[in-house]
Amino acid sequence: MSMFNAMNTTASALTAQRLRMDVISSNMANVDTTRATFENGEWQPYKRKSVVLKPEGEQFSSFLNIAMNRKGNAGEGVTVSRIIEDNETPGELLYDPEHPDANAEGYVELPNVDPLREMVDLMSATRSYEANVTVFNANKSMMMQALQIGRS
Amino acid sequence: MNLFAGTIQQLEQGLQYSSIKQKVIANNVANVDTPGYKSKGVSFQKMLQSEIQMSSNAIHKTDPRHFDLSVSGQSVSVSKRPYSVRENGNGVDMDKEMADLATNQIYYNSLIERISGKFGSLNSVIKGGPQ
Repeated sequence: MSMFNAMNTTASALTAQRLRMDVISSNMANVDTTRATFENGEWQPYKRKSVVLKPEGEQFSSFLNIAMNRKGNAGEGVTVSRIIEDNETPGELLYDPEHPDANAEGYVELPNVDPLREMVDLMSATRSYEANVTVFNANKSMMMQALQIGRS
Repeated sequence: MNLFAGTIQQLEQGLQYSSIKQKVIANNVANVDTPGYKSKGVSFQKMLQSEIQMSSNAIHKTDPRHFDLSVSGQSVSVSKRPYSVRENGNGVDMDKEMADLATNQIYYNSLIERISGKFGSLNSVIKGGPQ
């Protein structure tokens, strides 16, 4: 069933890349959101989110199996381990005393989302998605070929 | 007389190698954005050795002094290539993976072609030539 596993591997990557695109969309949509969370009596701006990817099938049990069977481990794809918020990068401060979320000096903290960076990430996610689709199609055509064995 | 003469088994071994290779390529491409992931490969050498060993019993020697092709064979092994090409420690080279994918696909299809040809000739023998 090795071939079907390859399809699952690719499917996991498609899911992960799709989630990356969703998170990027969320970042872009909230590029001006100043009221994301309510903390200590004041509104906090939206924080940039990003996904953390981790290879599947690289756990201890997999390595133990390899050591016992002396067989190679091809891996089982990729998984999103968590979605992290970027609390390190400071948001841009905009002088706008009329704004309801302005502080005492009249400055509003904007989300730390950089649209340029998001676009670059989006391009990267799209390309990875397309590469995985190519692998999936190759795999599919190989399986279709295998079904032709014995048909003359 | 052995009807199948080992050819089909050898082709099957090749197909097995090819499908494991496909799985490894799929995994490498899937992890193209995973930080710290190192690209994996299937060692063909060991696969080849086991195939040679399978056929070494039947190998045709014209002189008794000729060397035997008996090499200690192993099953397919997946090895890591521990270098990285990018800043986040990821070692997947997309160009190489895509080239490998194309090569593997053609290799697989040619094996299928050959195995079908083998069955075709057997069929022809059974039926006693074209009808």
